[in-house]
Amino acid sequence: MIYLDHAATTPVLPAVAAAMADCLRSPLGNASALHEPGEAARALVEQARVQVAALLDAKASELVFTSGATESDNLALQGVFHPAGGHLVTSRIEHRAVLDTARQLQSRGVGVSLVTSDRGGRVEADRVAAVLRPDTRLVSIMLANNETGVLQDLPAIVALCRARGVLVHTDAAQVVGHLPVSVRQLDVDLLSLSAHKMGGPSGIGALWVGDRARSLRPILYGGGQENGLRPGTLPVHQIAGMGEACRVVAGDLVAEAQRQRALCARLLGRLTALGGVSRNGTGDHAVPHILNLRFEGVDGEALHASLPGLAVSGGSACGAERGEPSYVLRALGLADAQAEASVRFSFGRENTDKDIEEAAKIVEKAVIRLRGMSPV
Amino acid sequence: MSRLTYPDHVWTLFVEAPGAGRPLAAPEWVVGEAHEPISETYVRFHLRGPRERPVEARYEVRGCPFTVAAAASLALKVNGQGPLPPRFDARQLLQELAAPVPKLGRILVVEEAYRRALQRLPSIA
Repeated sequence: MIYLDHAATTPVLPAVAAAMADCLRSPLGNASALHEPGEAARALVEQARVQVAALLDAKASELVFTSGATESDNLALQGVFHPAGGHLVTSRIEHRAVLDTARQLQSRGVGVSLVTSDRGGRVEADRVAAVLRPDTRLVSIMLANNETGVLQDLPAIVALCRARGVLVHTDAAQVVGHLPVSVRQLDVDLLSLSAHKMGGPSGIGALWVGDRARSLRPILYGGGQENGLRPGTLPVHQIAGMGEACRVVAGDLVAEAQRQRALCARLLGRLTALGGVSRNGTGDHAVPHILNLRFEGVDGEALHASLPGLAVSGGSACGAERGEPSYVLRALGLADAQAEASVRFSFGRENTDKDIEEAAKIVEKAVIRLRGMSPV
Repeated sequence: MSRLTYPDHVWTLFVEAPGAGRPLAAPEWVVGEAHEPISETYVRFHLRGPRERPVEARYEVRGCPFTVAAAASLALKVNGQGPLPPRFDARQLLQELAAPVPKLGRILVVEEAYRRALQRLPSIA
């Protein structure tokens, strides 16, 4: 099986598995306890916090460990709009963790504006500017889209919000660990990330909270962990795994990004040679590891069924369970049938040139067969 | 979408697609076409023989694996590898293929293409 679905989740890196196993074998206590096993656990948590912070160019004290980017998005949005009121701006192509939370906030009386992207999948700052209101508290725009890989125009959006005193949150789950990310340079206020998108374990993530967002309120209650923002006993082995993943990816971040961009370009070149194949979303501003292609002249379900030995996806893994065409691709102007006949390839550290060759052959064979059967 | 999504016989019909393709041009063949624009399902049926008992069928299809399997199943029946139903029934085919009900629309496209081809065959009566 050639695994090209790293945007959904990545295999756990060997060093991460080893670090986690070490934790699980050690007689660690509760990281909040004051005895020696507790202190040992706390030391591992704080070491991981430093490792995660280093990847983000952040201070360790600014990080809140969560169960993943979905919880981080929930904490960012619900935590800002507590008590409910005011206005939230986000986009139609956000992950459901943001969109569903926005709908929930709307039901509690928060005004919500959803901006559209252009056909290339970018949310331009002027579209955000057009909907800002005097009571806008937060703008939440993802750093890169999880289906198209398109990087958003966050610097312009942040500049706009800074001038109006509006907080900015970004879901950076598809960027952290794939491209250099500096919260200082981005100048956002809240940033979500997840370990399992970069070789760490699932079930652990973080929310970076900048100084301007210090009034953030918790959405869970029951303990004072994580500066009162995320109560609950800290999962030391998962946190240690996330820290180790950050350490490993930081070691060769730029070189690995270049390598994956080359894999992406190679597959794009091979498959566009078939004709009737287009990239969904602009390739001019994209993360290196996501390539979303639309295949004309084939049925989407038949195409996906014809890719044995290849693990890819039609859109987000979360959307696949619903069995509906991707709302992100529809927001880019694609018809349902075009969205269904799209394939997201997402690359990872273990993929090689040979994987790309084999993947290209599998897809070419499927497309040629299905087009050959088609009457049109 | 994986092989596990489909019943075994549907998967086999989809992968092998017996009878798929267009026949060599010959005057005795007739064609029936149907199209459903939202899902962009297209089916073209080619038939040969008398309307009361066509003897050979070929088909071209752009559709999901159930659509391909429906066309293949029907072609197999026409080609003498099974009893020809007196009348094509999309609901019966839906049951035969254990297809989910939302697939009925696509299977109706197969029925429509087949019916149109059948009407163009000469009658022996």
